[in-house]
Formats: sequence, structure tokens, C-alpha cells
Amino acid sequence: MRILVIEDDKEVASFIRNGLTQAGCNVDHAANGRDGLFLATTESYDALVVDRMLPGIDGLTVIRTLRASANTTPVLILSALGEVDDRVKGLKAGGDDYLVKPFAFSELLARLEALARRAKSGVDAPATVLKCADLEMDLLRREVRRTGKPIDLQPREFQLLEFLLRHVGQVVTRTMLLEGVWDYHFDPQTNVIDVHISRLRSKIDKGFERPLLHTVRGAGYRLDG
Amino acid sequence: MRLPRLFRTNVFRLTLAYMALFALSVGALSAFVYSATLGYLDTQTNAIIQAEINGLYEQYERSSLGGLRDVIEERIARDGEGRSYYLLADPIGRRVAGNVQAWPIGIDDARGQWVDFVESESGTPVRAMPLRIGPGFRLLVGRDIRELTAIRQLLRSVSLYGITLTLALALVGGVLLALSAERRLAEINRTTRQIMAGDLTRRAPLKGSDDEHDELAQNINAMLDQIENLLAGMRHVGDSVAHDLRGPITRLRNRLETVAGAETPSREDLAECVVQLDQVLATFNALLRIARVESGAYRSAFTTVDLKPIVRDVCELYQAAAEEQHVVLHGSAPESVEVYGDRELLAQVLTNLVDNAVKYTPPGGTVRIELARAGDRALLRVYDSGPGIPAEDRSRVLQRFTRLDRARSQPGNGLGLALVNAVTLQHHGRLTLGDNAPGLVVTLELPALSPPRVLAAAPAS
Repeated sequence: MRILVIEDDKEVASFIRNGLTQAGCNVDHAANGRDGLFLATTESYDALVVDRMLPGIDGLTVIRTLRASANTTPVLILSALGEVDDRVKGLKAGGDDYLVKPFAFSELLARLEALARRAKSGVDAPATVLKCADLEMDLLRREVRRTGKPIDLQPREFQLLEFLLRHVGQVVTRTMLLEGVWDYHFDPQTNVIDVHISRLRSKIDKGFERPLLHTVRGAGYRLDG
Repeated sequence: MRLPRLFRTNVFRLTLAYMALFALSVGALSAFVYSATLGYLDTQTNAIIQAEINGLYEQYERSSLGGLRDVIEERIARDGEGRSYYLLADPIGRRVAGNVQAWPIGIDDARGQWVDFVESESGTPVRAMPLRIGPGFRLLVGRDIRELTAIRQLLRSVSLYGITLTLALALVGGVLLALSAERRLAEINRTTRQIMAGDLTRRAPLKGSDDEHDELAQNINAMLDQIENLLAGMRHVGDSVAHDLRGPITRLRNRLETVAGAETPSREDLAECVVQLDQVLATFNALLRIARVESGAYRSAFTTVDLKPIVRDVCELYQAAAEEQHVVLHGSAPESVEVYGDRELLAQVLTNLVDNAVKYTPPGGTVRIELARAGDRALLRVYDSGPGIPAEDRSRVLQRFTRLDRARSQPGNGLGLALVNAVTLQHHGRLTLGDNAPGLVVTLELPALSPPRVLAAAPAS
């Protein structure tokens, strides 16, 4: 993946840069909005990481300018402002996802991969069947089968599995699940998500030789064949 | 140049405007009295003269100039007060009869119009009517109008005095009013300046008159109380942050120092540091959120929220976790109850309550969420069958960082209920902790919006 990081804080920038480079990404860095905008318009990237507060041109203006010139590169906004209205403002400006500082690197990476993947798959024709190895989900008939055998899921388990299937092969963090499946942007104190995952796992993996739903230590979960 | 302060006050300007209005009214009234009174007297005088002329003319027609002269002489003799004036003059202006010495200069005899002149001998103002009579003779009949003139003078000066007096009174009144308003406001201004200078305990004085100034002072005082409370709250947060974050941060520092000094730092040690730091951050974020809630930052985004789906969602979110702990969790929300608020905050509140309930309920226990409407209140209750909270600790647990002794073994930062309390207050609600014998029942009471009225189906036309 080729990623542009627009971030003025040197520590944060090198933290992101090192992490992404280790994860096999090709990373460019701009320390202010003007340089960032220049790089983003002249080079081609799989995704941008844009800090909201930047010297000169601020992050939201950078995104708005890009969107106004029909640049659709997915953007992940980084911000110290984490309230709902800040998030809404960021997404309205044209951001695709919003991550509040401080963040765990695994969270950033998972979200970036999800964004880049979504962009690559293009304007996905509304899929009616989602698949992972021998697991199949029919969205129209609301049915799930593995090796042809039907699996009975609760509505929320169905949503959870749908989210995982849409991010198949990628790490999905607990916060991403809470946002994507429950539409909550706060952290419940106890990790209730884990319990939901373990229930789902027992339904789709139990009795099958090859597990599909994996736990990624210190990051989240991954559905993979 | 700036006007003196007093003259810039609003009260003073208003008084000036009223003063002008009053002066105008008094002027108009005087003008009316003046014209009505003088008009009446004028008409009377004129009528008397007219009658005399008529009589004299009759006499002239009856007995010619000689008879007219006799009648004039006779009338003069009879008029004891000397208020009537007559003059019969020959064609070259010489007096034939009458008590006016000569035909007054500038009086045209032909027109039969009213004229005013001053009789040269006595200096008396006279109203008269000239008349052509016979072959070139002229007759002038007049009457003393000293009284009329005097009354006119009087009316004029009365009007003038009246207007002047009104203006003077209004000016004095305006100054007095402005002074008293200024004095009250000056007290309030002095208080606010003292507060700005840092003395937050000052309050605007009340006069007890219950007027608008008292109301202003009361509102200002209420505002100051609120500010003082908020400041105290902030100070408390500051103290709490210092107290509660210093511990973990110090431990983290020590651990990092150990790791840094070790020959071969272990991965586990570093991972443990990250975990500890995450806890510090979580506490910090929770504090920030409470502070934001208390500052009313979410109020602007309040909208109509139905509590029913929130109960359903949170119940469903915790179902699996509860079963894992062998706790039965059920939610009951038979009807939609709408409140004015923030969906996310209300969901977090219920999450915190259910989280606590599930955490402290022993295996085999039950947690129940109930949503009901009681009149214009929404009642959200969470029952558990855990150990409960002793009555004397109940108000304490709503404070930040309060953790009862037996809770210290459980994960948590002691901010859950504090957030619930803050959110409840921002929604104008009430949070009460009660005894579920055994266990705890938390009641969240919020002002409910009136249920949508079921409209009768419109008759088909």
C-alpha cells in the first residue's frame, strides 16, 4: 500500500511511519497542509492519513480541496477531538473514517487497510452473497451456510458476521465492530464484544476442521479462510 | 466630547422624550383655550357694536343726519363707563358728533370691516366698524377692548408659564429618575467589577422591592452561584485528576525505569506498561467526557430520542456477557417513551448501569431493565440481585472516583456512575439508588415528551 501521512507532530508522524513501513507500506510524509495537498494531488496513493489540526491549511480544508477536485483517495482523519459532532464534521468534510488520538497502531492499520480495500474493490456492485472459504451469506434471503449446512444466527450475530465478511482477510478491531455493528462511539467498560465474537465463533467454527474466525492478539479479529 | 454619564443614561433620554411630548400637549391645550376664549369675547364685542350700528342707522333713516347727531350725543351722555366710542365725520373728516377727536389715520371707511385702533386722547384700544352714511359723511362706532386685550395677554403668559413649568418639572423628574436608576445599576456594576477583580463571593445587593432591578440582581446572583459551582466542580476535577492519575502514572514511571535499566528488557514488561498507560488514558477520557457533559456541550445537539430501542440494544449487547457469567438479563420496554436528549449519551448511561449490575451480580442472579412511563416522566430502572449499596454510601458513589471497598477488586475507574449522574442532570432528570432486597435498583427519571397522539382515521371524503 502507498500511504501519505499529513501530520505536523514529529513523534506521531514517525510512530505512524515506522509502523506502516514495518507492515510493508510505502509511506510519504508531509508536515503541513500545503505540502500535503501538493503531494496528494500530484502523486497517487491508496489512502491518506490526515491530522485535523495542521499549521497553515488545516486538515479539513485539505480534504475539502481534494474532494472538490474530484480526488477520491480514501482519507482517515486523525484528531484529538473525539466528540460526536467533531466526528460528524470530519466525515462531512469528505473524510472516510475518523480516529481519535491517542490510538493503538493496530487500530490505525486495521482501519487503513479497510479503507484501501474498499476503495480498490471500486464501486462494488451491491453484492447479494458474501463468501469466505466455505462460509456463505445470502443477504437477500438472510441465510448463512457453511459447506451447505444452514447456520442459525440471531439478527445481531448476522450483522456482526456480515461486517466481518465485508472485511474478510483484514483485522477488525473491537471499536470498529462497536461502531459498525452497534453504532456506538464510546467504550463499554467490560469487553462485551469478545463475548459476542466467541458466540459467533461457536456457531460458525464449531464442528469444522478449519477455523475461520481468528483472534489477532492485541488488535482484534480476522475472518479468513 | 462626551456627555456627562448621567445624561447618557437611558432613563434620562426617555424622560427628555416624554418632556417634549408633555410640552407639546400643554402647548396644544393652551392654544385651544386661547382661541376658544378670545373667540367668544370677540364675538360678543362685535355683536354689541353691530347692534349699535343697526340702531344708529335706523335713526339716521328716520331723522337724517341731525337726528343721528342727537342720538349719538345722547348715547355718549348715557354711557357712564365711557366704553362706547362714536364719531360722525363730514366729507373732509371733521367731527360732527361723537367722543373720538378725529377720524383715525389708516382706516378705510368703505369696506364695512372690523378695525382695531388706539384712541389718541385716552390711549384706549378700540374695536370699531366704519360706515359710509349719507352724502360723503362717515360714521364710526366702536367699543373699548381693554378687557379683551388684557385677557389675551393673560392667556398668552399663562400658556408660556405652563409650558415652561412642564419642561422644568420634567427635567427635574428626569434627572431624579436617572439618578435613582443609575444608583441601582451602579451597585450591580460595582459588584460585577469586584467579581471580575477576583472576589467571586460578592453578590449584587437586593432591595427587596421585587422590581426589575431586584430581578436583575437576583438573576445575576443565580448566575454567579452557577459559575461558582462550576468552578468548584472544575477544581474538584483538577484535584481528582491529580490524585487519581498520579498513582498510576507514578507506577508506570517506576516500571519504565526498571525496564530501561534492565539488561534485556522483556516484551511482557513493555506490554504491561502499555496496558497501564491505556488505563490512565481511559480514565482521562472518561473525566474529559464527564467534564464535557457537565459543561452542557452536548445540549445543542439534543433531539427526540426513543428509549425503547436503546433498552433493547443495550440488553442485547450485554446478553451474551451476562449469560457467560450465569446471570439472567432481561429487558422490558413495552412502549416507546421519548425524551429530549442525546442518544449516544443515554445509551452510554444505560450501558454503564447494566455493566455495573452484571459485574456485581453473583452467578445465578438476575438483572432486569425496565422502561416505563409515569405521567410526564420516563422511568428507566435497572434491578440487580448483587450485594447492593448501603444507604449511607448511596450519595457518595455518584461522586467521581468513589469506589467502595469491595469494588476495588473489580476492574473499573470509579467514573461510571459519575458519568451517569452528570448525563442525568444535563437531561433535567433524577438518579436515585434504592434497595432491591437483595441487590440494588437504580432509577433514572427523565422528563418524557408527550406520546404521539393516535389520530382518528380521517373520514374518507
